[in-house]
Amino acid sequence: MPDLDDLCRIAVEAAEDGEALDAYAEESRRTTASALRGEVEGLEFAESRGVGVRVVHDSRLGYAWAADPDADEIRDAVRRARENAALAEPDEHNVLPDPAPWEPIPALFREASAAVPTDEKTRLALSLEARAISRDPRVTKIDEAQVGDAVSRMAIASTTGIAAEYRRTDAWCFAVTLAVEGDETQTGFSYRIGRGLDELEWEAVADEAVERGARMLGATKPATAKVPVVLDPFAAMSFLGVLAGALSADAVQKGRSLFANLVGERVGSELFTLVDDGTNVDGPGASPFDDEGVPSGRTELFTGGVLQGFLHNAYTGHKGGTTSTGNGKRGYRSVPGVGTSNFYLDAGATPRDELLRMADGGVLIQDVSGVHSGANPISGEFSVGATGLRIDGGALGEPLREMTVASTLPEMLGGVTGVGDDLRFFSSVGTPSVLIGEMTLAGV
Amino acid sequence: MLPRELVEEVLTAARRRGGSFSELFVEERSSTSIRLDDGKVEDLTTGLDRGAGVRVALGTSYGYAFSNRLDRDSLLEAAAAASAALQEGEPGSIVDLTIREGPGTNRTDRPAGPYPAADKVAWLREMDDAARSSSPEVVQVIGMYGDSIQHRLIAASDGRWVEESRPRIRLVAQVVAARDGTIQTGFFGPAACGGVELFDRFTAAETGRKAAGRAVTMLDSIPAPAGEMPVVLAPGMGGVLFHEAVGHPLESDAVDKEASVYRGLVGSTCASEIVNGVDDATIPNGWGSYDFDDEGEPAKRTVLFEGGVLQGFLYDRLRAEKEGVPSTGNGRRESYASPPIPRMTNTNILDGPERPEAVLEGTDRGVFVTSLGGGQVNPASGDFVFGISEGFLIEGGKVSTPVRGANLIGRAIEVMSSVDAVADDFDTWEGVCGKDGQQAPVGSGSPTLRISKITVGGTGA
Repeated sequence: MPDLDDLCRIAVEAAEDGEALDAYAEESRRTTASALRGEVEGLEFAESRGVGVRVVHDSRLGYAWAADPDADEIRDAVRRARENAALAEPDEHNVLPDPAPWEPIPALFREASAAVPTDEKTRLALSLEARAISRDPRVTKIDEAQVGDAVSRMAIASTTGIAAEYRRTDAWCFAVTLAVEGDETQTGFSYRIGRGLDELEWEAVADEAVERGARMLGATKPATAKVPVVLDPFAAMSFLGVLAGALSADAVQKGRSLFANLVGERVGSELFTLVDDGTNVDGPGASPFDDEGVPSGRTELFTGGVLQGFLHNAYTGHKGGTTSTGNGKRGYRSVPGVGTSNFYLDAGATPRDELLRMADGGVLIQDVSGVHSGANPISGEFSVGATGLRIDGGALGEPLREMTVASTLPEMLGGVTGVGDDLRFFSSVGTPSVLIGEMTLAGV
Repeated sequence: MLPRELVEEVLTAARRRGGSFSELFVEERSSTSIRLDDGKVEDLTTGLDRGAGVRVALGTSYGYAFSNRLDRDSLLEAAAAASAALQEGEPGSIVDLTIREGPGTNRTDRPAGPYPAADKVAWLREMDDAARSSSPEVVQVIGMYGDSIQHRLIAASDGRWVEESRPRIRLVAQVVAARDGTIQTGFFGPAACGGVELFDRFTAAETGRKAAGRAVTMLDSIPAPAGEMPVVLAPGMGGVLFHEAVGHPLESDAVDKEASVYRGLVGSTCASEIVNGVDDATIPNGWGSYDFDDEGEPAKRTVLFEGGVLQGFLYDRLRAEKEGVPSTGNGRRESYASPPIPRMTNTNILDGPERPEAVLEGTDRGVFVTSLGGGQVNPASGDFVFGISEGFLIEGGKVSTPVRGANLIGRAIEVMSSVDAVADDFDTWEGVCGKDGQQAPVGSGSPTLRISKITVGGTGA
């Protein structure tokens, strides 16, 4: 089996005169174990690898990929990418990045995490379920309890001289509980992510999933009102996904971002500082370089509410008269787009309890749904479904469901009156709890 | 795709510790995708995917392993890995493999794959031209074209051997319209499990015009009202809601985990008596259609609601065997990289007796929804939410001003019990459904129908 860097080199050597070419290869070995009713529900092993080839000729871009190719299939992919390029329009911004020095991040790969026996994973999944169904008499079953880890490697080579490779280990666990009372069922979710299974606080995952489900029992639909709102990190995270799309230079350059002409302007409140930092090893999205071989960096998108700039890959950097911020992201099946590394709202200094006191009479939003369809990254308008809890005397009170929250992103960012100190990451997106001075919650 | 002896060897190896069955799924898929952005071919990608997954089951527990390699060593390694999920047990046997022939539900005389890429670019340009020339307020058009052909082989230790090829084609138009600083978007994306006959249903130009029309219409929109009110859903849209709010809780994995609002309610009235609903994988060239599901079960038409009474659930093999009922042929998987799970195919609410005009005329005040942006449901509680991407006020029985920024929110059983009118103008909508990290093409269909009371979440008065 050829090494990834060999496959990339074969592709680069197949480039013809006048062509710029890069090859991106990845391979991973992933295991997931899930438990249900005290038994192993599923055990999955995945071994995958693939290579994607980008050819630029006369500023025309073509792409082709293949799963687990041999040397001949790599050369065939180069040929197909070349044919595809011939049909594309020339675009002077189709450039491949030049090599630049990057710092290895040894912490991304943990030798011990790469060799955890399968039995240990199934045991962990069973323990996760067992704990989740033994904490509260109303939570006696789960929807899912899963533990997983992956060892991956990626390599990039290009005719511009890039030849880079790194490897990483990742691990995660999550639980979805079912809380039942009478004929009502509520679900509770929790999640942790890290570099190895041993560092995951799986007990906390079980406990939190139980709490989040059980406290929603008896939820009612509130009357429509304008109230202070605390978004807990689970809920705030959904909005960060929309922000990430609107802060991509690709969306901006195509006129598909509400932030297009607002660089240097105050959009959010001064408590609002948003960064993307691929060098932050505490975040799951850290990497020494991005998927085009550009070194990872730290980019402040909002500082004290003022918009600083956007996320770039090589294409948008060239087009925008600037450089890539190290945010070229892709799998081997597609050309690099603009994506996030560790994208997070900087933690504030306010403990969550203090945020709740500040929002007295308001609502803690625990989950939002429909953000992917209910938010418009161009106009900034959104309307999403929400569940949560009334805040009563600074403490959590009655549960609420079937609410909708409708506002605009600028209004919401400008309305941030408190940022918690409880930053946590979900995949590569992170956020603490956030207090919004006032939002309309529609119910009855 | 693989010699019979090798398939038998892999299935046998996978049963080294017994289990209720072993299964091999082999796939090869070639695909083309093209993105036309701002009139330019921005991305033209061709892909070649290949892999095989081995599954071993015991009750509802399973082991699954896949590899991108189809050689003997790799397949046997996957079989060994999958069987490791079971405790030590006696090896199981393999029944003689017998080929099952399918009816050819997704047969096409004109598969898209062999067409030159230049033709595919031309379809996108036709769509783009039509969208731009339909209104001066159209400022941006994105076109996406995709086709693929997936060859599959499924063999299992109970003797089943199924081969099927699924051709797919889709053309998507996303249009942005602008006026005085206001920006709105419109979307239309017809698709089929078939070939370029898709363009007989909607030409590329029609697709562009429809998306453009939506974007331009929404420029006149006002913020949607908030509160409970009657909502009329245009053809197809009731199917989208039915899929999300009702279909997911009817999938047997949710039922088995006691995470479905419909658990224990078969035979009970769970919807208004004018609601008749089915899941039907046998519709020729339907976006969610096939000859066999991804476990090798023949496709079926499963009645879900008859006169508002719940008739049954959607089963894959594991859940069906556990319940001792036949599989409904709803075991689907995104690719060789995932084990099958119970999924919908084409989920439809059937025609009723009324004329669509009469349904609108009979609605004094409410919202008419002509396009839903997608939605989400919690199968356990039945709570769902949908974004309205194109909607209008209904005033005095007439469709009036367009509204924006709204969603629909409710609970499955209550909302389906509030359906008080079903018309006779059935149409379908093609989408991609996500579940457990797997994407599946699904059809949703319905005639015009009215929900007498549902929460609309908006910002207006």
